[in-house]
Order: sequence, then C-alpha cells, then structure tokens
Amino acid sequence: MTQLDISVRNDHHRLLLSVVGPINSYTFTDFQEKIYKAIAQADTAVDMEHVTALSSAGIGVIMTAMEDAETTGHGFAIVNPSEVVKLAIESTGFGERFPVVKTLKQV
Amino acid sequence: MPASPEPRAERDLVLSAEGSAVFAFEDFADGLDFLPPIDRCRIKIAGSEILDNIVKHASPLDGGTLRVRAARRGGSVTLAFYFRSTSFASFASGEGAFGEGPASREPFFDPTHRRWRGIGLVMCRNLSTRLVFRPGSRMDRIFLEF
Repeated sequence: MTQLDISVRNDHHRLLLSVVGPINSYTFTDFQEKIYKAIAQADTAVDMEHVTALSSAGIGVIMTAMEDAETTGHGFAIVNPSEVVKLAIESTGFGERFPVVKTLKQV
Repeated sequence: MPASPEPRAERDLVLSAEGSAVFAFEDFADGLDFLPPIDRCRIKIAGSEILDNIVKHASPLDGGTLRVRAARRGGSVTLAFYFRSTSFASFASGEGAFGEGPASREPFFDPTHRRWRGIGLVMCRNLSTRLVFRPGSRMDRIFLEF
C-alpha cells in the first residue's frame, strides 16, 4: 500500500482523524499538516487502527503534536493503534509517554 | 525429543536508491511469510529507518541500487543491506549509531523544521539485538539481528 488516507471529522466536540496506510518518510508531511492543524483548533483523537507502517518521521510528528496539545491546552490521544504502531512507539524507549487508548470512550 | 530448529529461509530484494523505495521495502517485509508477524513488524520498522539513512547519506550509490536480504537461520532473524557508497562510512562514524556501545547522540528537537531528529536509529537499536555497519572496499554492509 503506497497511499496514506487521512479523514477528519467532528466527533463530540473534538476532531477525529482516521489514518489508513503507511506513515513513512515519504508520506509523513500529509500526516504532519493535518494533525498540527487539528490540534491548533480543538481536542484531537487519532485513530491508528489501520496504519500499516510508522517511521521515526511519524513518531516525531506525534511527539511534536503532544507538545502542541500541551501548549494549546487541547486534549490529544492515539486511539486503537495497530501492532506495528504499538511496536514503533515502544521502540522509542519512552512509549509510556504517548497518550495511547484502546477506544474513543477512554478519551 | 527436542524440537527441530526452524529450517533456513531467506528472501532478497533489489531497491533503487530513492525515497519511494520505502514502499517496496514495506511490501517486502509484509510478505516475509516464513517469519511471525512480530518479526515482520520489527523488520519493517527498523529496515525502513536504515533504508532512509542509506538513501539520504549514501547516495549516489554505485549502480543506483542496493540489495536487501531477510533471513531466518536457526533461531536468529537477520536483515542485511548491501550497497556501495563513497560517503556512508563517514556519516556512520559521525553518527555513532552502528556499534555495540550506547548511541553517541540522543534524539533532539530541530526548531527550524519543527521536527525531532535522531529517533530512527534509537528505534533500530531498541528493536534489534545487534546493529553493525561494515564498510568494505567492494561493498558496504549493514546487518541487523533480531
């Protein structure tokens, strides 16, 4: 799969980004643009169930998004990550700092 | 009676040294059906980072291509990259990421580009049990063992 599809919708006063496909060095800029824009506007949840790859570029975007969320006072969560996303997060050595939840109800 | 070791298996891939090669590599990792899903994920994440570094820091490659081999031998899973570059060795020695000791550089935030840098090789080291770069007069090699 070479395409990254990101849909954005309103969901109970927050923005929900649903990401499908690989977040790698070639596609991360689209992810970056949409996630930064969302966090600047509202609480944001990112559904990563159908993410097929997550590179360090994508991890870096998530880390910056976490900081932006703190700065703006908006909530931020990663929802239902796929196995490869979970492993990529763990592999940083500080996976416990990432706001990962299993379902949207936990946000 | 002890369980017999898993039979040897390996698969090769030749990639062009360009950013879009990451898609072919991801498909390659997903297709390694002789490995369990967790090892395929490890190979996909760590291998993509290595490939990214080769494309960024080893280009132009001799012949414009590199070869990748994923293998299971006994209880060990390995991923190897073979390429020929005149510039990668100096990058690798400065980076300090390829070796047995701790990484010499921690991840850092680049405020100009609003990006974290140096995370990829940390991920590779945490995902693998061994990460080695071996420069050679005929071929450079990077080995990861999982």
